[in-house]
Amino acid sequence: MTVVAAPGKQLKPARILLGALVALLFAFFMAPFAMVVLNSSKTSREIIYNAIALPESWGQLLTNVRLIFTNPTVDYLGAFWDSTVITFLSLVVIVLFSSMCAWVLVRSKSVWSAVLFMAFVAAMVIPFQVLMYPLVRWMRVIGDALNFRLLGTVRGIVFAYLGFGCPLSIFIFHGFIKNIPYELEESATIDGCSQGRTFFLVVFPLLKPIIVTVLILNGIWIWNDYLLPLLVLGSNGVVQTIPIAVTAFAGAYLKQWDLILTSTLIAMLPIIVLYLFAQRYIIKGMVEGAIK
Amino acid sequence: MRRHRLVSILFVAPCVFAFAMNILIPFGFGLYYSMTDWNGVNPDINFVGFDNFAGLFSSPDFIYSFLITVAYTAINIVLVNAVSFGLSLIVTGRIRGRNFLRAGFFIPYLIGGIVLGYIWQFIFNNALVAVGKSLSIAALQTSFLSRPGSVIWIMAVVNTWQYAGYIMLIYVAAIQGIPASLMEAAEVDGANYPTRIFKILMPMMANAFTISLFLTLTTSFKQFDMNLTLTNGGPATRFMDTPIKASQLLAMNIFSTATANRMAEAQAKAVVLFVALVVVALLQVAANKKKEVEL
Amino acid sequence: MRRPFVRIVSIVAAIVCIVAVASCSKAEPKQAKGVEINMFQLKVEIKDAIDGYAAAYSAAHPGVTVKVETLGGGGDYGGALKAKSQAGQMPDIFVIEGLGGYNIWKDYIADLSGEPWVKDTDLAMKVDGKIVGFPVAIEGYGLAYNADILAKAGIDPAALTTRAAYEKALAKLDSMKKELGITAPVSMAASVAGGMWWVAAQHNLACYWGGGLAFDDTSVIDKALKGELDEARFTQYAKYLQLLFKYADQNILLNGSYDDQVGAFAQGKTAFLHQGNWVDPNLKQLGVTFTIGYAPHAFLDTEQKGLYLFAPSWYCVNSKSPNADAAKAFLTAMATTPEGHDYMVNKAGMIPAFKSVTLKPAGQLSQALMAANAKGGNYGVFFGMLPDGAGQNVFGPIFDLFAQNQKDLPRFISDMKKAVADLPKM
Repeated sequence: MTVVAAPGKQLKPARILLGALVALLFAFFMAPFAMVVLNSSKTSREIIYNAIALPESWGQLLTNVRLIFTNPTVDYLGAFWDSTVITFLSLVVIVLFSSMCAWVLVRSKSVWSAVLFMAFVAAMVIPFQVLMYPLVRWMRVIGDALNFRLLGTVRGIVFAYLGFGCPLSIFIFHGFIKNIPYELEESATIDGCSQGRTFFLVVFPLLKPIIVTVLILNGIWIWNDYLLPLLVLGSNGVVQTIPIAVTAFAGAYLKQWDLILTSTLIAMLPIIVLYLFAQRYIIKGMVEGAIK
Repeated sequence: MRRHRLVSILFVAPCVFAFAMNILIPFGFGLYYSMTDWNGVNPDINFVGFDNFAGLFSSPDFIYSFLITVAYTAINIVLVNAVSFGLSLIVTGRIRGRNFLRAGFFIPYLIGGIVLGYIWQFIFNNALVAVGKSLSIAALQTSFLSRPGSVIWIMAVVNTWQYAGYIMLIYVAAIQGIPASLMEAAEVDGANYPTRIFKILMPMMANAFTISLFLTLTTSFKQFDMNLTLTNGGPATRFMDTPIKASQLLAMNIFSTATANRMAEAQAKAVVLFVALVVVALLQVAANKKKEVEL
Repeated sequence: MRRPFVRIVSIVAAIVCIVAVASCSKAEPKQAKGVEINMFQLKVEIKDAIDGYAAAYSAAHPGVTVKVETLGGGGDYGGALKAKSQAGQMPDIFVIEGLGGYNIWKDYIADLSGEPWVKDTDLAMKVDGKIVGFPVAIEGYGLAYNADILAKAGIDPAALTTRAAYEKALAKLDSMKKELGITAPVSMAASVAGGMWWVAAQHNLACYWGGGLAFDDTSVIDKALKGELDEARFTQYAKYLQLLFKYADQNILLNGSYDDQVGAFAQGKTAFLHQGNWVDPNLKQLGVTFTIGYAPHAFLDTEQKGLYLFAPSWYCVNSKSPNADAAKAFLTAMATTPEGHDYMVNKAGMIPAFKSVTLKPAGQLSQALMAANAKGGNYGVFFGMLPDGAGQNVFGPIFDLFAQNQKDLPRFISDMKKAVADLPKM
């Protein structure tokens, strides 16, 4: 692992200095989390008096958590569930449909497949701001026309995430599938596999490493996304995601920091726990996603 | 292989359909609405040509938002990349616990912009002020977020905190792709540490620098979530003799224009953002082309 | 070759089930409950009270469920409502804050002229002879003071009726900070960053629009809407604002949140608080025991004794909703039943706009307003007549900047002159 790295034969004081510097840097990266935990365990009064003192009683953390989960206006538990469902379903459809699409685009050497691929790649430049308001209006129009409501529903936002997530995912799958030897698929065909079965039986299992990448890239984005759910689901809709619940909380309580910080703590906990368990995959996936 | 046209179409259909419905069609409408008097509620929409654009480049708040977005992006490119390069050197070095450090530096990236905006707002407005009071440090007693001259620097610091761990991973991957023998040979030849970094390591990582540069560039240019919850556009400052919000980046300017029922104007601003990003993308393509030629 | 295929099929099957369950569990139960009245309101301070009243009303009326959603202070209510309407989730009862809101939503606003509470109030929203809005409350403000601190400093609040009197009092408080245990004389907020621009750029500026005039005299703001600023009057106002800024806790002024601003006053760290009677419940929560009253915002060279009173918002009933009648009944109950009065006065701490209400509010500031209302000679609040976004996007930064550069009075006046000149174009 130590490929490059620090000076070889170093003097002791220099090493200590470097160590201190690294420790300081690490403290800077971790301090905000400490701040959140510390102040999530205080009452509003304690925070107003002194934001950096230790809490009078750590038990307050549980009280704050309970206050948040039992709050009548912001259904935090519901938002938690909705965020989980939305993220999970979106990831499933993105991985499934993007890989299918990318495979066809790689393997068929026609003009339209090249054009489609270019369209997906080019669309990544479009900032969300250009289409967010028209999108809402358009979703309402087709929802009314087909009597199939997209706005304010789980299916609507999952559909939107498929649309917004597929360009990058197709791009990543495309790059990976290009390097899978075609012979594998040919031999499957000789064995009598149909096109569909060839994909699911032969190609799809080979995609496992890159699927991890696509899952992680899209997962972090969708879990934390704010604007798209805000527009599609609304800030006070039946279906809510965690970032919306956090802002609703901050708005409804006029900066009651004890509750806001506790709600941020609850929002980040699952993703950090997940990260600590699946760290190796996540880091590998992120790097591959970026370099592609 | 027996290739059925119908199966192929079925395979691409879900993505193409979702893509068309969510991106292509709204994008087309978006371009069209930027040339209308759409206000978001009224169903009668009239075409007004380029009227919405004409006003933009004489309106101080928009020019300012555009300029500070550029400045904010420039600061980020330098700050994020410098910090993450430094971090990548640390975690690929011989220091103990480097895997632990690498994991720790990456954690902020997992936190969404909305959530971390609140956290840092609390740190700047409450925690640091409290530190300043208890230690009687005057410089800390007024919040950094209330200083119009430096607020985008503060935002860049927060952004660096979030992104450095991620960009670090890219550099780490690049460093690990360099043959160890190369560095060892240089060390044997007596090249000192900085020389090895600047003369051997950095040139070999050119590709990683390009990737990171454009990644930082586009994400900074589109920054919204953290802007909204960290500063809410504040404090105020003066520009072209007009009081405006000192930290309102482009994306937030679009958002607040739309919330004041000026949808068409917001749409026009978004089109300007789009054009700016197209220019950036073309630059990136050109940079990649150039690299391929060099190789 | 077989096994992965089976696995994939089973995964897909599982997903389909989950989708089905997830989408069902979200949609179905909502419609099965009978009439559900959705109310969407923005007064954070009455959130708990109205939730409680809605629950009690639902319990007393089988088949009717009232669900209240609250959007708070910094939140953009108009934007949220627009998003709801675009999402096809327009609430049955929503809030407008003036003519601007009426013009946007008039297609959705039901005619309430026939409702029994109409003859019981003077503050219903009326457009073209039709009653369109239920007045949420009477609200109002002056400069709230801590009577104990003023007494200790030897200042008589009744004498605070001119700018000169304020100048003397504030200077005296400032010189006695140590003895009085205060950090600054005034707790005031003006920051865009803290989401508190409205204290200065909406409520304080309202003094200029309506102060010292008859209750319904809109001549000053009418002129402004045509692009004209009365410079002599504005200069007097600006000097008063400058005075408040000068003696305000600077950290709260430039950066504070609502909590910070109200918290400082509640802890006895300031003698004055620039907020309306809606802070009564907050003060109670923070355990305030000292006596509080309202002094007038006396910015003119001449004497001013009135407070600023208004119906800040109105409930409108969504005319396109199938539940419109149930929603009207809910509002009528609020205005006419003892339970409704109890909710408005005792639970929410509001001053109802209905004459038949005999209960007295518990909050000290609300009581002060009620007394002022009985006495008369108060001033109207007209910022609701300004175009959308003028307060937040135009005046907000101007006031924030003046708070940062308090010495530059001419600059502030010229900024406002320019901004007002641009109002007709907005």
